[in-house]
Amino acid sequence: MSLALNELYKSFGGNQVINGVTLQIEDRKVTSLVGPNGAGKTTLFNIVTGFIAVDRGTIHFAGRDLSGLTPQAIKRHGLARTFQNLRLFLDMTVRENVLVALESDMSVNFWSRANLGPVERVLRQVGLWEQREKMAGELSYAERKFLSLARVLATGAPCLLLDEPASGLDGPSLRLFHELIREFKNGGGTVLLIEHNLDIVRDVSDRIVFLDKGRIAAAGTPDEIFSNPVLGELYFGVRVGATGREGPGHAAR
Amino acid sequence: MLAYLLNLAILLGIAVILAWSLNVLIGFAGIFSVMHAVFYGVGAYVAAQFALHVSSDFVLSTMVAMIVTGALAFLVAVPVLRVREEYFVVAAIGFQMVASTIFITWESATGGMGGLTGIPPAKVFGFELISPAAYLVLTLVCALICVLALLAVVRSPFGRALKALRDDETAAIALGKHPVKLRLIATTIGGAMAAIGGSLYAFYVSFVNPESFTLDYSVLLMAMVIIGGAGSLLGPVLGALFITVFPALLNFLQVPSSVLGPVQQIVYGMMIVLLMLFMPEGLVSAGKLISRRRK
Repeated sequence: MSLALNELYKSFGGNQVINGVTLQIEDRKVTSLVGPNGAGKTTLFNIVTGFIAVDRGTIHFAGRDLSGLTPQAIKRHGLARTFQNLRLFLDMTVRENVLVALESDMSVNFWSRANLGPVERVLRQVGLWEQREKMAGELSYAERKFLSLARVLATGAPCLLLDEPASGLDGPSLRLFHELIREFKNGGGTVLLIEHNLDIVRDVSDRIVFLDKGRIAAAGTPDEIFSNPVLGELYFGVRVGATGREGPGHAAR
Repeated sequence: MLAYLLNLAILLGIAVILAWSLNVLIGFAGIFSVMHAVFYGVGAYVAAQFALHVSSDFVLSTMVAMIVTGALAFLVAVPVLRVREEYFVVAAIGFQMVASTIFITWESATGGMGGLTGIPPAKVFGFELISPAAYLVLTLVCALICVLALLAVVRSPFGRALKALRDDETAAIALGKHPVKLRLIATTIGGAMAAIGGSLYAFYVSFVNPESFTLDYSVLLMAMVIIGGAGSLLGPVLGALFITVFPALLNFLQVPSSVLGPVQQIVYGMMIVLLMLFMPEGLVSAGKLISRRRK
């Protein structure tokens, strides 16, 4: 179920924000997109999930051409996403937020009973089961992050596009995040991740793609990317030594 | 006095049904409709015409009114829902103005400004409802059916999808929901439910004319939902109670009758302003505010 982006181009008012991106997202792997602000990472997410129409190029997932499809159709084909600013349903309970993700895409169902089994499973997974009757707007920032993850996990989509899911998390929350990504991957899932926390990127990624000015500047394993002296100077803000392993920390700009 | 209270209770019941029907749009679908009096009016006219020419059976007349009004709401929503937010409000005002003109000028269907008169008393299971007390029971039964239907809708996957759309359309789309389809259905449900209020009104006053279904009344219905608290079932009840009963209470103020009207308007207007300043989520949030103060 790999995701293939082929020669994608997108410009806004003469500004070329995506400039010939060709990328193969491997099945059952975590691929991270990194790069400076304005590199085109979120625009690429919006293109892949159908929120922005591409000027040129094709998108295939599991052999199907997704180019030009609506976000609803793309979700139906197995791609689900989170948003940088979370976009939770704040006036709905935690349980309802997850139920909405689980329920039929047709949405014109008046009669079926809420399927609470999968809701419980997902909410326990992210540690929010005890908070299920709270309004999403009453949750802490970290809890909101995990609700956003619960919602996307509940869709059952085999490929998740996660936009900065771990920013602002620390300590036990970060460990839980790692665990969730690992579980999803081990269960056969594919992840495309945008994340500025480079410690996380290094820890969870199988492959890192460095995007700059709408182009892929480099791609490789975490070791290859983190030891690339040009990228280190450009983005990670560190001088890479002979071993190429100086820790970059949270150096995203 | 009893007759006055019964009259007030019946009108309040009708207002609650109308406010609930509008709450489907405003509170659950996030559609700020200022054309709801049109659906109320169409429901009233259809029920009245059916009673005058076919049968005064309340259930049958109301069902016909619901079908016609629901279909009209659907047809209106198709073009009007293409525009969003403030543009939708303007389009809805335009539709209300067109409908108000049709109510006045289509004399063969509406009786024009003179309205439709001589609507026979409603029959339920063959019994004519003549006393106001019996009519109040009918109104309460209709309100009960409406609230049960609303509870079923709100707790269904459709209701959740609608609320998701209201809270964040982009996220709802990302989860596969179809905004236009959901809003179309919500508008149809809201329109059909408003027809129940229209039918109750037509049979109760046995006379309908365009003055009851103006833009002013659409705004008043919107005020009921917002003052009471949109998105809850109790909110529209409190809003309808406030809008319907509060002016009646002002009648008991010991002021000269010559200034009663302006005093009523000023006190009423000030109450609305203060409510929106201190309880922007509506009267329904009073409980929350009190419990927060106690903590």
